[in-house]
Formats: sequence, structure tokens, C-alpha cells
Amino acid sequence: MGYSFPEEVLEHVLSFIDSDSDRNSVSLVCKSWHDIERWCRRRLFVGNCYAVSPAIAIRRFPELRSVSLKGKPHFADFNLVPHEWGGYAYPWIAAFAKAYPWLEELRLKRMVVSDEALELIAKKFKNFRVLVMYSCEGFSTDGLATIAANCRNLKELDLSESEVDDVSGNWLSQFPDSYTSLESLNITSLSSEIRFTALERLVGRCPNLKTLKLSHSVPLDLLPNLLQKAPQLVELGSGLHTKEVHPDLYSKLAGAFSGCKGLKRLCGLRDVVPSYLPTLYPICFGLTSLNLSDAPIQCPELIKLVSQCQNLQRLWVLDYIEDTGLIALAESCKDLRELRVFPSDPFGQEPNVSLTEQGLVSVSAGCPKLHSVLYFCRRMSNVALSTIARNRPNLTRFRLCIIERFRPDYITQEPLDVGFGAIVEHCKDLKRLSLSGLLTDRVFEYIGSHGKKLEMLSLAFAGDSDLGLHHVLSGCKSLRKLEIRDCPFGDKALLANAAKLETMRSLWMSACQVSYRACKLLGQKMPRLNVEVIAEQGHPDSSPDEYPVEKLYIYRTVSGPRSDMPSFVWTMDKNSALRSS
Amino acid sequence: MSESAMAVVKPEMKSYIWLQTADGSIQQVEEEVAMFCPMICREILQTGMGSSKNYAISLPQRVNPAILGLILDYCRFHQVPGRSNKERKSFDEKFIRMDTKKLCELTSAADSLQLKPLVDLTSRALARIIEGKTPEEIRETFHLPDDLTEEEKLEPLRNITDDPRIRLLNRLYARKRKELKEREKLKNVEVEEERVDERSVDDLLSFINGEDGDSKGVRASKNKKKNRRRKDQMKDSSSNNVNGDHKKELDGVHTSCHNAEADEMLVSTPSKTSKLQELPASTFSPKLEFDDGDIDDELDPAMKEQLDREVEDFARRLNSDWPERMQEILSLGQQRRLVPISMNGNGSAHRYTSLDSR
Repeated sequence: MGYSFPEEVLEHVLSFIDSDSDRNSVSLVCKSWHDIERWCRRRLFVGNCYAVSPAIAIRRFPELRSVSLKGKPHFADFNLVPHEWGGYAYPWIAAFAKAYPWLEELRLKRMVVSDEALELIAKKFKNFRVLVMYSCEGFSTDGLATIAANCRNLKELDLSESEVDDVSGNWLSQFPDSYTSLESLNITSLSSEIRFTALERLVGRCPNLKTLKLSHSVPLDLLPNLLQKAPQLVELGSGLHTKEVHPDLYSKLAGAFSGCKGLKRLCGLRDVVPSYLPTLYPICFGLTSLNLSDAPIQCPELIKLVSQCQNLQRLWVLDYIEDTGLIALAESCKDLRELRVFPSDPFGQEPNVSLTEQGLVSVSAGCPKLHSVLYFCRRMSNVALSTIARNRPNLTRFRLCIIERFRPDYITQEPLDVGFGAIVEHCKDLKRLSLSGLLTDRVFEYIGSHGKKLEMLSLAFAGDSDLGLHHVLSGCKSLRKLEIRDCPFGDKALLANAAKLETMRSLWMSACQVSYRACKLLGQKMPRLNVEVIAEQGHPDSSPDEYPVEKLYIYRTVSGPRSDMPSFVWTMDKNSALRSS
Repeated sequence: MSESAMAVVKPEMKSYIWLQTADGSIQQVEEEVAMFCPMICREILQTGMGSSKNYAISLPQRVNPAILGLILDYCRFHQVPGRSNKERKSFDEKFIRMDTKKLCELTSAADSLQLKPLVDLTSRALARIIEGKTPEEIRETFHLPDDLTEEEKLEPLRNITDDPRIRLLNRLYARKRKELKEREKLKNVEVEEERVDERSVDDLLSFINGEDGDSKGVRASKNKKKNRRRKDQMKDSSSNNVNGDHKKELDGVHTSCHNAEADEMLVSTPSKTSKLQELPASTFSPKLEFDDGDIDDELDPAMKEQLDREVEDFARRLNSDWPERMQEILSLGQQRRLVPISMNGNGSAHRYTSLDSR
């Protein structure tokens, strides 16, 4: 006979199982496991806040302590999603306030968070510890003040990339003198002058502070004091701007940096004066992450800095690094795992720096652990891409952004189909891919046949016909997020692969050729999808059904159409066809 | 006593504890080894049992002699104070290597003896076995039953039955069912079949390309888990061959190719297992919990589905905007048709009647 798993210890066993996918698998094994799992689940990740309602989530998981929510689609980062589209955090927070008085952590990404929501967090969760608002908006420093004043056990406050209505910098003073639990503070997006004395006192009385990321408004002469109060820092983000070079300041800063023996991650460095860079040299060897994407440092100083960071695992840098800098990087930083090269002058007609595909090829050859790449450049070739693919079959994320659209292989003038084909063929664990350059349907054929682990694909100005989209939807088994702009994809591929859409988190299509009729049809046939048509120019009913919609956002959901849509968004449902017929 | 002193002492002087397993067999164990188990330790200290064969400590049922042997090996090793962490870890790593069945028994036994370090060790090992597996694989490994219904896998939407909105909805449901039944008696059921969805992709494409499709509108795809709990009371005249399969568990999650012609479709069926697992719950369960049990089940399943959908839709709209809906609902009694209301974001409500032919 069979034997059974000892249920009396299942909960204990589950305490060692943390990943969402494993938890989900566990919950589908059998009735008793389903039940036990849901009662002991403490952490929930909702990749699309409209895929499920707060009520359903609460009913299923009665004992959550930590929730992550994502709102707007990724293309919102490129201003493709209209401002009032949605993604409101308040309904979730209000529901949690009633259901989870012991909630400790909230991580929100691309959501609209009001001051009222922040007030609820501050007042209703007695043991609240972590608030991360990544790329959020809708709140002001007043909301932050309420958090500071009330959350006695707050460990982490992270406002990366969020738009904050900066009413006053005084909110920092709202942390009471008795408050000492801060471990991580990220206020880089705040632009107003903060009260430095309050900041200094706060830093001084929080002995566990490990991450401090400040806005560029913190002047350089204050930094040494801060660093001296927090020599235990592991992560620092700070502008280093100053108007002049003071020898005093230089030595103070050098001393302060040397004192931070545990510093591993550095970012910011906006407006840095190159002559101050040597103050960083003592800590370079210990750095694992360096983000210079805001720093206008030019090549010789940049190379000097980077080549001292032999333990670097992650580098984000502007294209000032040029091919020569990347070659130096490949020689010095053998532990490099992630590289992002951003454009210093994306709108310029002519290249302002000497950064080409060669830089990336060098890094792919020299850095065996490199698995994540984001690279902006102005030219690429199939042979370079193939070389990169063969050098680095361990790539998991590859995002190539050739600045001008429709750029062919600069050597052969061919499309870049074969090059990207090599990437998907050799990099069998590739999870994320962004394409650019001149691309035909052929590249999608490659992606469909090889991209079996691909989870996220971003396309712009690529392909010839519906066949391209069909290859992707029918071939990429693991696809979760697909975002497309300005591609000649229409109805056929979408409708033929309608079932696929229920296996994905979301599909975004803007400036494509999907007709209004197809949207309606999809909305009718697929009750578990929300098919949202975004039309800022006017109701799609006012144009013929064959006309393409401006923007289309399709996502699976168990909660039906949402009720908080702005006036220019419509959800296609079973009624929509009837209305216009 | 020091170890060397102990070596000099005659064996009979060493203390032993007597343990009895559920099958009746008794064995003796060195005292210090047995005392490593909190449960045994407590028994000895509180009751004085275990000092002789006749007063052997009864161990919990989950501890059989073979497993007891393993546990005692573990205790024997770890109760020695001088060992380094490295040694202990190395022992544990070797110790834990056993087949899954034995591992389960061991975990269970250790738990009943409250031997926490061993429970942790075995639990972690079980966690590692579970990680990375699909639900089927986990079931296979541990011989667990596959007793979640399709419905439960997607978690039906449930409403609290004492919500006044729900009571109203109940009445609405009941009234609607009666209406539909009456209508059915007047119609030829075969007409219904035309409106069942599951059109092939070719149909869809030809519809798009402007050929003459069924103009009655396409219905939303059938939710496969429907009607599974209900008794099959399909009308004989209903040639809903689409429903013919509904007793079988359907593969995969999506059903838009539920047709007999499914194989010919271009529609790519989603992978069975993992994709929808991210979602904690499902949507449109036909069997809303507040169903009145006494309403008879003789409706054509296709009609039932339509009805369920309308009511579900209505319930959802209700939930989102109660006060304004109150008026609508109260006036519904005068109308024969369900009046779905849609709202757009700026608050104006468009009202339209559903076409009867849906």
C-alpha cells in the first residue's frame, strides 16, 4: 500500500518552502494540503492588482504578513499608459486594514497610493515594518509624515522612482526620538530640501541602518558627517555635488569612506566632480554593485574607478564608458553578473561616444558569470549577436536597445533575425528578451521554436505580419508578459491564440492593428480575461469596427472587469458587441 | 563520570531505559541516549517509568522498532557533547539519506517524540524533495490522493449567505429560473444548440474576415467546471453534444476548444499545470453557494449556464456599487428581463436590455 506524508508536520515542512511557485504547487496537491498551505502562507505576490480582488485574496489567505502588488503595465515607464489608467492601492490597503491587523510588509510597484492610504498603513498596522513604493505616485510628504510619526517598528522605507508631491522636507522630523529601528531608507526621488539636522540625528540613532539612499539635494559637505555616524552602512546612494573643490572636504570625505568598511553597494553620484572620485578608491575593492547611470563621469576616470572594483557583480553605467572602458571592465571584473549601459544622449542624431557592439562582445567574452544585460547602442550586427550568444549561453536577461528604429545589421544590411535567433537558441534559460533593430517575422519563428523558458518579451517596430505574433504566442510555452508597440500585428494571431492569453499575466499592444471588432470578440469569448481598450481619442464605437484600437491591454483575472476605469478605458465584455450592433 | 571511568565500570552498572513500541516489542537503551528525547526524558522524570522491563515506557504509535533504531542512532551520536558543528553536520547529511517512505516515517516519529532537531532535519529534507515538483509529481512521490475538484482548484467564488444583497439575488435567481423554464417549454430546444459557443478558430477567423457567421452573437466560453456537482438531468432532446463530455475531468484549464473537433483547432491549449496557479481563486462558479436547494434542476445546462452568467455578472456589479443598484433591483420586479447595467468611470450609467437571444 502507499504511505502518506505525515500531515502533523506538513506545516513545519512548509515553513521551509518559500517560493511562490512551490507554494502554489503545494496548494494543488490535495484537499488537506491546500487547506494547510493557505493557513500558513505568510507572503503573497500579486503580479497584477486587477487579476484578483482583495476580498478573494483575503478569503483564501487569512494569515498574511507580507504582500507585494503591481499595478500599471511595464510600458507605463515609457509614458505609453495614460496617466489616470488605474492601479489604485487604497482598496487593497483598506481591505487589509480590516483583515490583517498584523500585516508587516507592503511592496507596491507602479501603483497610485494616496495620502489616505498611507494614513491607513500608519494607523492600522501595529507591527508594520516594510514599505516599498517603487515607481508609485499619488502621495505627498504629508503621507510620509504620518508614516514616520506612527510606525514604531518601521525597518524599511523605500520610495525608489516614485513621484512624490514634495510639500515639505520636515516629514523626516516626524520620526520620534525614541525611534531607532530604521534599517533601510531610500528617498532618492524627493527633491525638496530635507532637514539635514533631522536626517543626521535619525542616522545617528539607528544602529542597524544598512541602506541609505538620498536625493541629490544632499550637499557633499554633509556626507562625511553622515558616513561617520553610520560606518556600518552596506549600501549608499548620494549625490556628490559641490560647487568647488575643498582640500578639507576632500580629506574628510576620504576618511569617511575609508571608515565604511562594509560598504558593498554604491549609487547616485550625480553631478560628481571627477577630482573627488579618488575618495572612493579605498572602498572599490569591496563593492559588489555600482550604479553610475546618473553620473556624468567620462572615460579615463571611469575606467580607473571601475577597474579597481574587482569584486563587482553589477554595473549600471552611461555609455561614456565606451568600448575601451568595457574592455577594461571585462579584464578586471571577472565576477560581473549584470551590466546595464544607458545612453547619455538618446535623442542626438549622431553618436556622441564611441560605444558600439564591440564593447558588449568583449564583456560577454571576459565575464563568465554575466547573465543579465541591458545595452543601448547605435549599431549591431548578426555576427556580434551570435558571438555573444556563443560566449554566454548562461544569459537569462537580454535587452538590446538600438537607438534608431529599423536599423539593420550595419555590416550586411540584413535584418537582425539571425543574430537574435542565435541568442534564443544558445541561451536556453533566457527568461527576458527585448528586441530592436530591423526584424522580420523570421526572428519570431526562432523565438517561438527556441524560447521555451522565455517569460517576458518586449517588441517595438518589429515583424511583418500576424505570423510573427502567432509564432510567439504558439511557441513560447513559459510566456507570461508580452508587450508590443508599433508592430504590424492584427486580429488573426490574437484570436487564434486566445486560449494562450489565459496562461499569461498580461498582453499590451499599442499602435498595432488589432481591430475593435476583434477586441469585442475576445472580450465576449473569454470571461476570464479583461480586454481593456484604451482610446483617448474618443469612444471606439464612433469609428467602424474594423478600425484598429489605439491601445489594448489584456490580462487574466478572476475578478471580472474592474470598476475604477477612467473615461477612456473600456473593458470588452459580453455586452459590448450588442451595444454597437 | 568521565568516559574513561565509564569504560572501567562493569556493563551492568550502566543505566538502561526500557522502551516499548506499539507492536509490543521491548528494547533497552542506554539512559543518556534515551534521555536525548524530550518525550522519553519527561516520562522518566515525571512517572519514573522505564527503569525495568515490566515498566517499559510506551512509545507513541508512530514509532516502530526500525524507526526507533534510526532515532536512537541519531540520539546516540548527538548526545555526545564534544562533537564539533562540522562533525554533527556531516553526520546529519549522511544520516538523512534514505528513501522517501522511511523519511516520512522518521519525520512523523521524531515529531511524536518531540525531538526537535531531528524534526527540523527531516522536515528540511522533505521540503527539498517537494521543491521544484509539480503537484502531480508531489502526489506521486507521497502517494497522496488527487481529491481537489476542478472547481476547488480554481476556488469558487463564495458569498456570505446572510448578506441582504444575496437574499435579494436569491429571489432574483429563483424568479429567473422560473422564467427560463417557462420559455423553454415554449421553444424547440434545438434552437439552443446553435448558440452554444466553442466555435472553431476557422469560424472565428471567417467571422473576422466578414463572412456570414452566426449573427446571434457569440457566447462566452463555457466554464468547464460547471454542473459537475449537479446531477445530470439533461433533457433528452437536448443534443448538446458539447456537454456530453462534462463528466470527464477536462485536461488543462481552458475550454474554448471543448468541442469534439478540438484536435483540429489551431488554438493552443495552455500548459496544464502551472500557469493559473498564481491566481488564488477563480471566477464564475455556476454554483453560487446560496443556491436554493429546492429549486429543481431540470433546466437545460446551456440555459443554466446563461442564467448563471447573468446572475454572476449581476452579483459582481452589485458588489461594486450597492446604493445605486438598490433602485435598479427594486424596480426589477416589474420587468421580465434582466437589465444589466454598466458604468463607466465617470459615473454615468448606461442602461440597456440584454437581448433575449443571448
